[in-house]
Amino acid sequence: MKTEPNTIAFPRPSGHLTEAQFGELLASSAKNTDRALTPAEEHLLTCEQCTAELAELREAIVLFRGATTAYADDQLRTAAPIAVRARGFLSPTLRPMYFVAVAALVLAAFLPIQAVHRRSLQAAPPAAAASAALNSEQYAAESDEALLEDVDRAASATLPDSMQVLADPMGNTDLSVQKSNQRKY
Amino acid sequence: MATENIGTFPTGLAIGTEARTNPLDDLDTVVALYQPRVFRFLLATLRDRDAAETLTQETFLRAWTARESFREDCAVGTWLIRIALNLARDHTRTGRFRFWKNLAANAVDVADVASFVPAMEASSESRLIAQQQVAAIWETLAGLSERQRTIFLLRFLEEMDISEIAETTGLPLGTVKSHLYRALHVIRARHAGHAKEAR
Repeated sequence: MKTEPNTIAFPRPSGHLTEAQFGELLASSAKNTDRALTPAEEHLLTCEQCTAELAELREAIVLFRGATTAYADDQLRTAAPIAVRARGFLSPTLRPMYFVAVAALVLAAFLPIQAVHRRSLQAAPPAAAASAALNSEQYAAESDEALLEDVDRAASATLPDSMQVLADPMGNTDLSVQKSNQRKY
Repeated sequence: MATENIGTFPTGLAIGTEARTNPLDDLDTVVALYQPRVFRFLLATLRDRDAAETLTQETFLRAWTARESFREDCAVGTWLIRIALNLARDHTRTGRFRFWKNLAANAVDVADVASFVPAMEASSESRLIAQQQVAAIWETLAGLSERQRTIFLLRFLEEMDISEIAETTGLPLGTVKSHLYRALHVIRARHAGHAKEAR
């Protein structure tokens, strides 16, 4: 913070109060009358010029205050009323309670949703299991049929598929024709 | 009108209250007691009615939202003025303010303020001189530095003690005195010149 010297080197008129003394006399309140007189106050007892000037300036300042106060009061009459409560309705002391209440409301709204969701999940398995069982049954039936067809094909063949190459080394004969001939014999 | 008590701090809201409740919880009372004071300070600082009104609202809004941090180590009025002062500083430091300051339709007219001189002057001539003195102080304040003007207003408009001003502005006592004496030096010079012209 910028500080400035306490004493001010104002030009001092010969034999009269310095500016600092003048300022001190103006700024001081006249409440404390028990204390001893300062040199400036002693000077005032003997110097009419300084006394008159000080009195005039004090009077001007009193007038300044009176006029400014009256003017401000007059201006304030037409001012809009202060509406602080409408903007800051959350009392600082009650603010934690507001937050707790809001949290409770959120929980109260969230928990039933969660419960419903959980219930729906629990209800879902029987249907899923049923459909899964149905699928597995269909799959088993189909696979059984395919297996039976494979067995039937293997049993009807005279040569295993792996040895059919040996039966016709040249590879000229149609396999289906050969098979039919073999059945005839 | 209740303007007589504006500059004083109600004892019920000052340090050492027996009740342990936060005085700022009763916002309606706080606004009723301190709105004129905060508005007056901001009006004299910013010289713009609309800006003063807006920042007065903002001051009480901030005080309300930050009331938990009010430790009652100072008077409520001092605390509010400190908030208002910070808001005014922020406001004047924006470029937007400078632009609007030049165009402000709601800028305070010094002649208007001077016309509110208390009607205790006997003659119309004395009243005219009083109005000129008030106008001269307003005009001189416009030429002071921000700190000098603030400290002058806190001392002579808000009638704060030097120590209270130091607490509000966060400046050392010596610095506050220094700025105040410089402001008074300028005002005294202007006043002396004005008195010579009058004679």
